[in-house]
Amino acid sequence: MILERSVCCEAESAGRGDGSVNKWQSWASGNKEREQAMALSLRDSVHLVSDPRNLDTSVEEVFHLMLGVNCRRYTGPAEAGEPESVTAMVGFGGLLSGACVFRSGSSAAMKIAAHMTGMEFQEVDDTVKDGIGEICNMLAGAWKGKVPDLAANCGLSIPAVITGRDYNLHVQAPEFKLHHTYKFDDANFEVTIICDGLQ
Amino acid sequence: MSEVRTLIVDDSSVMRKIVERSLRQAGLDTLVVFEAGSGIDGLELLKVEHVDLILSDINMPSMDGLEFLRQIRAQNLAPGVPVVMITTESSEEHVKQAILAGAQGYIRKPFTPEQVKERVLPLLHAA
Repeated sequence: MILERSVCCEAESAGRGDGSVNKWQSWASGNKEREQAMALSLRDSVHLVSDPRNLDTSVEEVFHLMLGVNCRRYTGPAEAGEPESVTAMVGFGGLLSGACVFRSGSSAAMKIAAHMTGMEFQEVDDTVKDGIGEICNMLAGAWKGKVPDLAANCGLSIPAVITGRDYNLHVQAPEFKLHHTYKFDDANFEVTIICDGLQ
Repeated sequence: MSEVRTLIVDDSSVMRKIVERSLRQAGLDTLVVFEAGSGIDGLELLKVEHVDLILSDINMPSMDGLEFLRQIRAQNLAPGVPVVMITTESSEEHVKQAILAGAQGYIRKPFTPEQVKERVLPLLHAA
C-alpha cells in the first residue's frame, strides 16, 4: 500500500504521541503470532467478506449510534472536494490483511468531531484528528464484525491520521476493494476497505 | 447513589469524553472521573487514587487493555472494583479473553448510553 503525497502532509498516530513505528511493529508481530495459530481460511467465504452491504450497514450503525445522525450512501456523480482533507487508516492483520480508510474534507471532519464531542471546531486540531481516528477504528471493527471468522481472526492496528492536500492513496493489485461515498446533512465522506491479502 | 469514582482508560481523548457523557446520561450524576491515556498511566493512577469503577479500551499502544487488567489483578491495585472493557473487538474469543483477564463487563463500540447503563449500573449495585 503506497500513500502518494504531492504537497505537505502530516502523518501521526491520531494525536497519540511518539513511537508510532514501534506500535505498528508490535502490532505486526502480534499478527504474525495470530496467523501462525490459525488453520482457518476465509477463501471460501470471500463473497461474504467483500459484500458491499456490510460496509454500508457498518457506516450507518457507527454514525447513528455515535453521532446520532442518519447517514446514507451516495451513488451520484462525484462532487468537487475540499482541497484540505483528513484521512484516517486502520490496518487489518491476520486472516485478512489490508486497511480501512476514512477520508473527508476538513469541514466534514470538523462536523463529525463536533457531533462526537458537542464542541465547535474552527480548525482540524488534535481533537478532530483523534475523533476521526476513532470513527475509522469503529468502522473497521464494525465491518470485520459482520463476518464471524473475520471478527475472531483479524486484528486492528491503532489508527493513523493524515492531513494535508493533494494526496492519493494507491494500492497495487488488491485482492478486493470497496470504495463508497456517504452523506449526512450536507457533508460527505468516503470509506474504503482495501484487502491486499486473504488467507 | 453516592459519589462514583470512575477511571476511564482509552488512548483516544474523544472516546474518554464520550464514555463519560454516556455514564452521566445513564444517571450517574455523582460521577468523579479520572482519565488515563494508556494502561501504564492507568496503573500509576490506581496506585494513588481509590476508584469504584474502571472502564478500559482494549486496543491501545504501549500496554493494551487486557494486559492493563492482568496487571491490576496481579498487583492487587483495585480489589473488588468492577472492570468493564469497551472495545471495537467483538468476537467471542475477545470476550473470553477479557473475562479470563478479570473483566466483569464488555461493551462493544459503537454503543448507546442505554447499553452503558445496562452493563454498568448492575455492577455498581452489586459491588
